[in-house]
Amino acid sequence: MPVMQSTAAIARAGAPVPSARLDGAVVALGDRVILRGVAIEVLPGITVLRGPNGSGKTTALRALAGLVPLLRGSVDVAGDLLYLGHRPQLVHGLTARENLAFFAAFRERRADVGVPLRSWGLGADADRPVEQLSAGQRRRAALARIESERCDILLLDEPFAELDDEAVARLQRALRDSAGGGAAVLIASHGHADLDRDARRVYLMHDGEVQG
Amino acid sequence: MIRRALLVAAREGRADRRQPDGLVAAATFVAALVLLESVVVGPQVARASSVAPALYWIALLFAAIVIAMRSFERELEDDAIDAVLALPGGRDALYAGKLIALLGTLAVVAVGGGVLEIALLDLDIALPGHLLLAAALGVVALPAVVILDVALTLRLRARAALVPVLALPVLVPQLVAATNATALALEGDPSGSLAWSGLLLAIALVYAVLGLTIVPTAIE
Repeated sequence: MPVMQSTAAIARAGAPVPSARLDGAVVALGDRVILRGVAIEVLPGITVLRGPNGSGKTTALRALAGLVPLLRGSVDVAGDLLYLGHRPQLVHGLTARENLAFFAAFRERRADVGVPLRSWGLGADADRPVEQLSAGQRRRAALARIESERCDILLLDEPFAELDDEAVARLQRALRDSAGGGAAVLIASHGHADLDRDARRVYLMHDGEVQG
Repeated sequence: MIRRALLVAAREGRADRRQPDGLVAAATFVAALVLLESVVVGPQVARASSVAPALYWIALLFAAIVIAMRSFERELEDDAIDAVLALPGGRDALYAGKLIALLGTLAVVAVGGGVLEIALLDLDIALPGHLLLAAALGVVALPAVVILDVALTLRLRARAALVPVLALPVLVPQLVAATNATALALEGDPSGSLAWSGLLLAIALVYAVLGLTIVPTAIE
């Protein structure tokens, strides 16, 4: 059963509908074209972006997050956006708690970041500099941002990488909760086919184009 | 924007305290140059008001580049910079926050290097107040350009070579103004020192505005 709220239901409740759209996006790196007129729409619920390595999934997410310039096309984002790349994006020299507190303060969220960190199993390690944590712990600390920042739009690039089974289940719960709460979630992944069951839409990318 | 810039600067300061390699490298470089100065050119020449300030500001300029490059290398580890750039207002805050943080770290290096140079070369200071003003404005004038250049070359493999090549020609006016403002403060020319200090302030403002205009759109 797809996890989503109807946009009409959200609009009726008076909340703005979060969305992110790429329309006809063309992105090039030097003389190599990475995206060739890609159109993706991310609405409340879970959207999955599939495709083999090098198909342009990461670039599509980065374009939605405003991290790569478009040669042609447009990007339109309505709502607070959280982009988690395939690396943890945490500053070395700071603890996991300090990293998350920085992001929460930047967005003026008043949440106690200790709660999500504990729930992701980092209670004892939350105050160690992130470079002293394992790759899996750093990944979990990054994923705890989903709960500490509570954004309307989540863009997640291969979020299951480096996670053990328990953390995978934890992430799936978090994503369902976010989507159930009205967030628009886009997941780029070439594994975890079970995600498709929960998705309101699955895009398939190949060679810089959306094929389905 | 100021609140977000201060958050970035505070984050930078905290990371610098745990990993002070940029500060240590810069301080070592400045101290070595001050020590070598008197050995190489002799104490009499080294004390000359035209020599000591020039070498001091050249050392501080390289120190600023070292600190800024280390600061952005930290952002590139684990792609931390992407998280900031994807935040609303993140690009402006990143530039302004890095600028504020570099200003603070450079001030520490400047004070340490300055005290060492004054003590080691036994410099006579005719106008201490003017010297402090010149030093403060000289420190203020450097970071805007250095951060701008490091930010623009961030994704280039050759950035270690490109940053000095891009920054040094642009920083010649700052170096000349800072050297003259300092030298004239040592010699006892208040109006001359103030005039060069005013120029330093103007340059700092122009490049800070330029950086805030260029970096948010150019940084990738």
